[in-house]
Amino acid sequence: MDLLEKYKKTWDNQPDETKQFSALEIYKLAHSKSSSIVKWIFIIGVLEFVILNSLYFVFDMEEVYTEYEKMGLKNFIFYSQIVAYVILFYFLVMFYLNYKRISTTDSTKTLMKKIIKTRKTVRNYVLFNLSYMALVMIAVTIASINTNFNDLNNKQIILIIIATLIATLLILGVLWLFYQLLYGILLRKLNRNYKELAKVNDTN
Amino acid sequence: MQKDLETKFLSDFESNQNIAHKICRIYTTNQDAHNDLFQEITIQLWKNYSKFRGDSKFSTWMYRVALNTAISLYRKSTRTIKTQDISDFTYKIKATDYDNTEELQLKALYTAIHKLNDIDKALIFLYLEDKPYREISETLGISSVNARVKMSRAKEKLKNILNP
Repeated sequence: MDLLEKYKKTWDNQPDETKQFSALEIYKLAHSKSSSIVKWIFIIGVLEFVILNSLYFVFDMEEVYTEYEKMGLKNFIFYSQIVAYVILFYFLVMFYLNYKRISTTDSTKTLMKKIIKTRKTVRNYVLFNLSYMALVMIAVTIASINTNFNDLNNKQIILIIIATLIATLLILGVLWLFYQLLYGILLRKLNRNYKELAKVNDTN
Repeated sequence: MQKDLETKFLSDFESNQNIAHKICRIYTTNQDAHNDLFQEITIQLWKNYSKFRGDSKFSTWMYRVALNTAISLYRKSTRTIKTQDISDFTYKIKATDYDNTEELQLKALYTAIHKLNDIDKALIFLYLEDKPYREISETLGISSVNARVKMSRAKEKLKNILNP
């Protein structure tokens, strides 16, 4: 007899779990909180949105806006923020729809495909956030050089450009690392399993 | 209506809970992780129960949802692998038909399965549960030819671990 066939017998004869749950215990479990990955992606996305936007209440935005006005950037900031909010809202809706669509009754591969799609939404969201930040920083630099153009010599202009460039890259780098850590931890295992399943279908 | 559905779910799940327990034994290595995964499986089953049309057996549907939860929706399972507690595997066998070799074999089998990756674990589990290839391929979402190929590789890996 095949080795595994013998083990199959052992498997069949294995004792039931000593702790059997009663209907009441199952009822309690079914109504407790889920810790599934997709749910966390959704929650973290919402939290980020809320935290980022509540920063506006903490900082005195009046002053910042007068500063923008002096540089002639008021319109740019105003309209780009409207666009940014629309896009952010779109991402939140996508997060929610992804979360709703994912159903354990799909086949494992379809389920993972959907989760990977969620991952793509997250990645696009991160990319959007980072590029919006970069865009604002570049606009502010250009505008501040423009307004002070007559008081600055060439050397100072170059210094300002280099300093903002380094600052921008640094901030973007830290944020990128943060996102990688946050969502990377959640999605690493999934990605590995998905690749494993995808590999089977490709190689044969 | 909701009440009826819930009563039906509770009795269906209560009588089939060993499927979930076996999956927990395969994907976790200590009692706490076992209970956590069991809880997550229960949540996912209940969440999707209204979509269960009854065109397959409850147990067939349960295999799919429970495995999917273990493979892809559950967060903690990889972290606990290293803290293996041997005493958790001494599943008590009824005193009347006590057989030490059976118990040792079962322990060896579980230890070996724990060394496989998530997908191979699922394949081996479905093999041990004597599921037909049609069901295995539907559950995992791969063609049944690929399920066979993948299965024979997983079995080979398991044999090598059991009998190096």
